[in-house]
Amino acid sequence: MNFFKGWDKVVSEIPEFLTAFLCVTVWVAIVGTLLALTIGIVVGLMSSSKNKFIRFIVRVYVEFFQNTPILIQIFFIYLALPAFGVRLHEMTIAIMIVSLYHGAYISEIVRSGVESVPKGQYEAAESQGFSHIQSMVYIVLPQTIRLILPPLTSQIVALFKNTSVLQVIAGGDLMYVAASWAGYTGITAPPYLIAAVLYFSICYPLTCLSRYFEKKNEAGYVQKKSKDPAILQLEGGALDV
Amino acid sequence: MKKLLVWVLALVMSFTLVGCGSDDSSSTIDKIKAAGVLKVGVKDDRINFGLQNTDTKEYEGYEIDIAKAIAKEILGDENAIEFTPVTAATRAGLLDGGEIDCIVATFTITDERRESWNFSTPYYTDAVGVMTKKGVYEGLKDMDGATVAVAVSTTSKDSIIAAADDLGVTLNFKEFAGAPECVAALNSGVVDGYTIDVTSLLSYLNDSLEILPDRFSPQDFGVATRLDDKEMTDLVESVITKLTDDGTLAKWQAAWGIDS
Repeated sequence: MNFFKGWDKVVSEIPEFLTAFLCVTVWVAIVGTLLALTIGIVVGLMSSSKNKFIRFIVRVYVEFFQNTPILIQIFFIYLALPAFGVRLHEMTIAIMIVSLYHGAYISEIVRSGVESVPKGQYEAAESQGFSHIQSMVYIVLPQTIRLILPPLTSQIVALFKNTSVLQVIAGGDLMYVAASWAGYTGITAPPYLIAAVLYFSICYPLTCLSRYFEKKNEAGYVQKKSKDPAILQLEGGALDV
Repeated sequence: MKKLLVWVLALVMSFTLVGCGSDDSSSTIDKIKAAGVLKVGVKDDRINFGLQNTDTKEYEGYEIDIAKAIAKEILGDENAIEFTPVTAATRAGLLDGGEIDCIVATFTITDERRESWNFSTPYYTDAVGVMTKKGVYEGLKDMDGATVAVAVSTTSKDSIIAAADDLGVTLNFKEFAGAPECVAALNSGVVDGYTIDVTSLLSYLNDSLEILPDRFSPQDFGVATRLDDKEMTDLVESVITKLTDDGTLAKWQAAWGIDS
């Protein structure tokens, strides 16, 4: 089984893998996440706008990025930009693409969250003299956040893994370094497995966080079941909203 | 899992052995004559070397001409030939298994490979070259600071680094998954050059690109035959020698535009 051999040689490469991971993959993921959240929230709120034209533009953006492969998006932008005389760093292109791609998904999450808030809340806000933006920011969004946190975290995990599209544009990320080293030495499994462990080390805790939010959410809406009658009595079956 | 694999392999091998048992005594050349057809492993995607025409399904190229010359020598008819497209991964198995009688498919001669197969005298010398946009560079010496695309798992990068070092030129590299990505990057202008074997570069040459005159790491192509197949090896060698001596190979190289 030659496929799994070569661990002794890959060990000396681990510092290089780590550098690529921290300086490119993690960096792109952090900046990408911040941008994606910004895009997602702004676009998500725009899609609940009363203006038909704004809603149309938002639809075009969301449908385009949700329904084409991210691989095509990044490769296309990478190759198309020089035709307009623009030369951007690969990391900049990757940040652009992952934040636009996941921003589209996040905006849908935000929209569904906003739509799930009962209409009475808006009417109540309006009756108190809140503007549309004010009622969104002070009344609706705080209620949505708990609801959308689990799917939002999943999106961040997905974004983190999707930074590996940097490999196709030779962006020097973890996947690129691993694939390049594997191709050069013919040692296949060890570099990819090391890369997988590194991705896992960040993504798994995030996934756990997402599950924790979900559990907390459930606990918030569902009556707690406890074996201890004393606790049951204490809580009195009240909804912990 | 391992045990299962062993049994499956044993089963497969027993079938192979049964298949081989028939006429081991007769030589390859006798078998070719009995069948009336020479079976050759060739490339079907290398322009000017071995390329299957998508319209006519005919094979054409420099190596196809050589294969036909071998068929003519054995059977007296250059069209008494059957082409099997091979890749780097399949060629050895096909030859050793007897599905093909020889390989004429940009097969580089190395000392390591000589232990497994017989090779004829080289019929062509390929080298690593650099393709760039037309009119930008005169040669590798002008490319200081340029970015060059290479495909993952090729050794061209080492060759060009060594040559560039000699000229005092420093290059940056971008590694892509395969040749099409490298060429796309070069055509769009995100990289300044693409380096691999000249025979491969030729497949991607277009009006806006050129191959610089620099050549590095020459590699010889030879016709491969089975190690124990002395008769066939000698016959192939005599054909290649004859074609080299009477200038036919040089003429064919010029005709296919691969003379350097």
